[in-house]
Amino acid sequence: MTNKEIYVLSAKQISIQQPLSEEWMNNPTLYEPAFYRSIDPSFKEYVSPIEARRMGKILKRALATSKEALKASGLETVDAIVTGTGYGCIENTEFFLDALSKEGEQLLKPTYFMQSTHNTISSLIAIQTKNHGYNATYAHKGISFDSALYDAYLQFRLNKISSALVGGHDEMTETFYQILKKGGVIGFDNEICGEAAVSVVLSDKQENALCKLSGHKIIHQQGIESLKEKVAKFLQGNGKTCSDIDFILTGISGYKENDEAYMLETKALFGDRPLLKYKNLFGDSFTASGIGFYVAAQCLKSGFVPRNMFVNEKDITDKKPDNFLIFNRSDGTNYSLTLLEK
Amino acid sequence: MTAPIYITGCGVVSAIGLNQKESLETLMGEHSGVGQLTYLKTEHKEFPVGEVKLSDAEMRNRLGISDNAITTRTALMGMLALDEALKQAEITPEMLPEIGFISGTTVGGMDMSEQFYLDYINNDAHKEYISVHDCGNCSEMTAKHFGDFAFVTTLSTACSSAANAIILGANMIRCGEAEIVIVGGSECITKFHLNGFNSLMILDTKPCRPFDATRNGLNLGEGAAYLVLESEKSAKKRNVKIQAVLSGYGNACDAFHQTASSPDGEGAYRAMKEALEIAGVKTTEVDYINAHGTGTPNNDVSESQAMMRLFGNNIPPASSTKPFTGHTTSASGSIEAVFCILALQNGFLPVNLNYSQAMDDGIIPVHQSTKKDLKHILCNAFGFGGNDSSLLLSKFEQK
Repeated sequence: MTNKEIYVLSAKQISIQQPLSEEWMNNPTLYEPAFYRSIDPSFKEYVSPIEARRMGKILKRALATSKEALKASGLETVDAIVTGTGYGCIENTEFFLDALSKEGEQLLKPTYFMQSTHNTISSLIAIQTKNHGYNATYAHKGISFDSALYDAYLQFRLNKISSALVGGHDEMTETFYQILKKGGVIGFDNEICGEAAVSVVLSDKQENALCKLSGHKIIHQQGIESLKEKVAKFLQGNGKTCSDIDFILTGISGYKENDEAYMLETKALFGDRPLLKYKNLFGDSFTASGIGFYVAAQCLKSGFVPRNMFVNEKDITDKKPDNFLIFNRSDGTNYSLTLLEK
Repeated sequence: MTAPIYITGCGVVSAIGLNQKESLETLMGEHSGVGQLTYLKTEHKEFPVGEVKLSDAEMRNRLGISDNAITTRTALMGMLALDEALKQAEITPEMLPEIGFISGTTVGGMDMSEQFYLDYINNDAHKEYISVHDCGNCSEMTAKHFGDFAFVTTLSTACSSAANAIILGANMIRCGEAEIVIVGGSECITKFHLNGFNSLMILDTKPCRPFDATRNGLNLGEGAAYLVLESEKSAKKRNVKIQAVLSGYGNACDAFHQTASSPDGEGAYRAMKEALEIAGVKTTEVDYINAHGTGTPNNDVSESQAMMRLFGNNIPPASSTKPFTGHTTSASGSIEAVFCILALQNGFLPVNLNYSQAMDDGIIPVHQSTKKDLKHILCNAFGFGGNDSSLLLSKFEQK
């Protein structure tokens, strides 16, 4: 075990905001609650047109954010590539499932199947960047990105790695949006549903870092008392008390049931610490917490918090943030805490 | 050298048995569980498969789950295996809030989605199954049957998912994040991946023949297995019987192709090498390799090359147990790890069934039943995308 520091060297996103850009901080694109697909950049730079034809959006976006994050990090290679994805390569899964259901079992082509498994993303990045290092993929609902981050975080602490590319990627097709809405999984009232592609590079070297990753923990639901205890222990373990935390970055989204639970639990856990949100700008998705990580890192780097991120007007401040605690609540079943510091 | 991770319980369900005892008898008796397709509804009756010999309803019945409950086959098999693992490790429900659960799967609830997909699109029938489609749901459903774990997550690296779940669990224990983590994977056969593998032309219409000159593809299997990983401190404190030791593990990426392995087995070589290095075990100390050995022309050459590179002229006895179970995909890493533990405990080399003639550029697998005292076993699991992992399992010896 080592106590070496972990720094966030770069963080890139493709979402419903301007892609591969921090334009949202000063000039966000605003949306009404509904389902929107991401604004895609040109992928020409990242993947050849022939390869791109077979790839779902999720793969092209993952390549673009990964390559940009690697470039911005200044690292030539990383020791580990770890990805989180709630639902994986939905577009290709849908094409194969559709053909299977409508055309039967005799004429299926392998193209879509080959790029339908969740780990296609991490392995594609490895193939394209010729990386033989550690490679893994997590698929666990709203803590998929958090699980990937946790894996890398543990390996830093064990001194197994000194750099990692961690991603959170989810795409959503119109068909799957309608199916999952019918199933009560996504698409709630007053909520923006989006897609997310986030890549971050972590390193034990500080140079040009956006911020520091001080702590990260995932908690499975066992009631509010147990949660309180675990949050207190987490803060203590990071040498902090609740009042040391500048901002709690929540997943408040506009959906009443979700927001009420967030308000209730943050009150119990963090008292009156200022609450922030990002899903009003980026929408919700299974890997939205990856967007949260990106948002917090960029705010720490730029030294300000856009006003439309404040949950309560009374908390609005021009104060330069020193730290963010990202509090992710996935359906009230899984929680994660991520402490980012300047 | 790092602190040992103890394995204090195992549970396994596959085509060759519903628990460790049945699996051991079948492995030692050399009876394959691969046969004609019974439970999966598919047009492809030409492919032999290794199905778990229970319907979903029979599994629910064994588990005391109501027939009206929303379940997936992957979760049901997982529950059967987890139940055995918890019992062997003497873990009671009140201990679960301190214990982590990490499961590997790739198909998740696809068995239901592929049956009801057109309903999902066209009407409201079966819509209650929509929320159990994802991989994470399978792990949650499996865990919830037993109680409230401290941590639950899901690895999804195709056919190495369970092996990677074992690696995350070991890292958690080594970091002091938990004293006990239950790790493994579960996967049922689905029409989705049966057809996917068929479209890739990697299924054999005959029983699979890993490392054989005539090998012509794999047979799909299904099942689940979990291992209870425990710190030395906790195992001693609980005075629980130690079944085996997880002394090393490696994960590397072949970074070659989405569905094929490199000719030189780079990923496999790196994964095995890393597993030995962190254990401080020399290549000459490895007594047996439970190969990934799918029976596809490509895998077996690539894996053989990796073994030749790492072990030179002294390749330990190696075999693939996939002719017994079929390729249990995401669960294979933990199912075969349990088989390795049975081999360590009972001193035998599992036979590579269906072998008759040596392949070019390949290893010659164990093909005659052999009693042997075993100390260290490497267990390989490789997935699509070159997600290659290797575990080093060792016999527990009282100091």
